[in-house]
Amino acid sequence: MRDQSTRDRSTHDAAPGESSARRTVITGLGVIAPNGIGAEPFWKAVVGGASVLGPVTREGCAHLPLRVAGEVRDFDPAALVDSKFLVQTDRFSHFAMAAAELALDDARLAADPDDPFGIGVVTAAGSGGGEFGQSELQQLWGKGPSFVGPYQSIAWFYAASTGQISIRGGFRGPCGVLADDEAGGLDAFAHARRTIRRGTDAVVVGATEAPLAPYSVVCQLGYPELSLEEEPHRAYLPFTVDARGFSPAEGGAMFVLEDADAARRRGVRARAEVAGHCATFTGGDGWEDSRQGLARAIRGALDEAGCSAREVDVVFADALGVPAADQAEALALADALGPHAANVPVTAPKTGFGRAYSASSALDVAAAVLALEHGVVPPTPNVTEVRHDLDVVTGEARTAALDTALVLSRGLMGGNAALVLRRVPDGEL
Amino acid sequence: MIGTVTFDELAELMNARAGLSVDPQEMKSRPDATFADFELDSLGLLGIVAELEKRYGQPMGADAEGCKTPRAFLDTVNGTLAAAV
Repeated sequence: MRDQSTRDRSTHDAAPGESSARRTVITGLGVIAPNGIGAEPFWKAVVGGASVLGPVTREGCAHLPLRVAGEVRDFDPAALVDSKFLVQTDRFSHFAMAAAELALDDARLAADPDDPFGIGVVTAAGSGGGEFGQSELQQLWGKGPSFVGPYQSIAWFYAASTGQISIRGGFRGPCGVLADDEAGGLDAFAHARRTIRRGTDAVVVGATEAPLAPYSVVCQLGYPELSLEEEPHRAYLPFTVDARGFSPAEGGAMFVLEDADAARRRGVRARAEVAGHCATFTGGDGWEDSRQGLARAIRGALDEAGCSAREVDVVFADALGVPAADQAEALALADALGPHAANVPVTAPKTGFGRAYSASSALDVAAAVLALEHGVVPPTPNVTEVRHDLDVVTGEARTAALDTALVLSRGLMGGNAALVLRRVPDGEL
Repeated sequence: MIGTVTFDELAELMNARAGLSVDPQEMKSRPDATFADFELDSLGLLGIVAELEKRYGQPMGADAEGCKTPRAFLDTVNGTLAAAV
């Protein structure tokens, strides 16, 4: 049945010039998260249910009313990225370049000088380079126009990370950026899949954010959903009676998404298949509206994956932590999955490290890929008593046979998205 | 041309403004090497011109921003500084 109240942003069928026969697989994973740098440390923290939410210590932020966030504290950009790129870019691009490097190493992929157009880059970003931009604008108003560095023209921009990854790696295939809300980390995969279906062999894809800088934090203070709680273990408690909003985070994840045949020819393992995506938009007039939009995104993604509701083995929830939004998400799952919604394990590892805007869903994809590989559903840190009719995994991680993961995301600007990931047994294509 | 602005100062500015590590002796010994060879892009050169203008209190003119090699750049900016004395 067609639901007229939501606008579908996604097309399930291949457009002219695209080959829907091309399967897309994740062959590389790079994570820069508050709870771990690199996929393995991240997974270890996620499985252990570690909570690393803590005080905001970044320069110029400590006096602001936001008390709790997920900071990436052990990140030494100079160890991972050349100084040339560091001087010219914002922290969100440092995260992106470092995460892309990890993903490319994992996939054993580099630009082919004989085929530089074979690899593209797609990132999502919700705010661009706020910290770099603030510093340069302070020079402008404090000293004058000639004190503004020329790199301001590119460093603040949403597209900066895509451009720098492309230049640095010599990836001259189709490139793009999604200026998007939280759903961007999933929508970027849809864009990358379309790129591959049009003939590109591989796309470096993902999202990173660096919203913990003074100007950026002040902007976020306008979000009624932001949690101003001071106690880290009580700041971000979705699906509970104590839900009081979300804690923001920085960092993100980058991936190598590859045509399955190209990956097979290169002899690399597939870490997971990206089987379906759908995005809808329900606007910012109330979280109740996201119920229909999210349910429709779930159905659309499952349809594209050729997957029944019962086949979903684990759900990585959006878990906003606002009572009306949590309720809408629980109802959307019930609408889309039927009785299975009450039985399928639901998790939100992000309650341990916060929501990094568009990178939040990219980190969920990383956690979902690792969950499929390990056959383990990680827990939802700090959450104990769940008030909805959902099987939210709390306390300890749970071992389970996992073939299909459903990742959900909703954004503060009204985007909803669902992504279906499938396990690739033994990584063999 | 030996002038006010030296290869050493240029190398220091390439590091401070564009994050590049360049050996001034190498720039000196390769007269035809371009800024592109040293990985300095046009935005980086703009930042260096702005910094020199502040240091020397003197506009460098549009020619400096368009120079393709370190040697041509030093000739241009030192010529401008000499003419202003």
